[in-house]
Amino acid sequence: MRRLTLAPVLLAACAALLAPALSAQKLPWQTGNGQPGMNAQLVHFLYPQQVTLRAGKPATILLHFRVEQGLHINSHTPPAKSLIGTDLKVPNPEGFTVTALDFPPGAAYAFPAFPSEKLSVYTGEFVVTMHLTAQPGNHLLQGMLRYQACDTNTCFPPRNATVPIDIVAQ
Amino acid sequence: MRRNLFVLAAMTLALALMVTAGVVNFLHRRAGQRARMRGPQLTLVPENASGSANPPVATDTSDAGAPTPLEGKPAPAFTLVDLSGKKVSLESYRGHPLVVDFWATWCGPCKVEIPWFEKLHDQYAGQGLEILGLSTDDLDKDDPARLFTEKRDIADFAQKMHMNYPVLLNGESVEDAYGLEAYPTTFYIDRTGKVVASTVGLVPLDEIESDIKKAMGAAS
Repeated sequence: MRRLTLAPVLLAACAALLAPALSAQKLPWQTGNGQPGMNAQLVHFLYPQQVTLRAGKPATILLHFRVEQGLHINSHTPPAKSLIGTDLKVPNPEGFTVTALDFPPGAAYAFPAFPSEKLSVYTGEFVVTMHLTAQPGNHLLQGMLRYQACDTNTCFPPRNATVPIDIVAQ
Repeated sequence: MRRNLFVLAAMTLALALMVTAGVVNFLHRRAGQRARMRGPQLTLVPENASGSANPPVATDTSDAGAPTPLEGKPAPAFTLVDLSGKKVSLESYRGHPLVVDFWATWCGPCKVEIPWFEKLHDQYAGQGLEILGLSTDDLDKDDPARLFTEKRDIADFAQKMHMNYPVLLNGESVEDAYGLEAYPTTFYIDRTGKVVASTVGLVPLDEIESDIKKAMGAAS
């Protein structure tokens, strides 16, 4: 009887051992090389989706973004002309005026192969500060974040991420 | 008796599964270690680790060097202009082993590979090797002044990097045909015009040389 009870225990142990081994393998139907597609967003606008502020008064909105793990993007002020800096384009439709955008400073990085060529990058989360004044009413702000991302071995073409914010000015 | 047989069979099966799991795990770990050893030993490092509030950039290289779906197929035709304005077609390189490298001036990993292509271009020139560098930098065709500046910047970059092979402009226009997703992406084309190897991302020099030998029809 004791032997009989051992069998399912052993089988369960085997299954537990086998599962990670099989999941680690690239199976025949799992195609692709893991690279994000040409149009996949590599930077995501996190929040806020809606803000309420006092109409006619200068206000500040903190726009939170997240760069995909393992990637970096150039900061707003890359050190070389050839590098594509992160920028936020915001149209000024009737009803509100964006007076200024403050980008955070980038973290300094350098490729060991080119130690003299400094990079200024954002990784993880970063925050852009928007200063604006809005007239009474509801306004939809449709911003566009332009960025260019790389990891240590590949670079991706410049992309645009939409930044939609519902502004309620009272 | 039947119970004993069942227990014995179950235990044998369990033992076989455990051995299989162990072997699969070992092979996978070893393959991963080898891939990491082969991977380019290039990482982004903070200039001042203590002064950076951001986490370090990940250095996973497992996706670098993955082949593209074009392998084994004819290289898509193109005709582009070089830095001097001369038209250059892929077809004109038929009969030569050819490397087509898509790069951009803003692409750091591309800058690591370019000197390797220069060296290999010289090394295998006697065997007919040709290299084309297709710049994918944006070109503003609606603004002549800006277009002039953009072309000049690419030419300056090529000169600074001592690129000793033709640099073609507007590589972006053939990105879709080549299924590009990231840079650098490199295609190795044999004398008949067939893609025999391709890589996405920065790969080690010996892998590039091995792919060039494939394009030349020589054993790597």
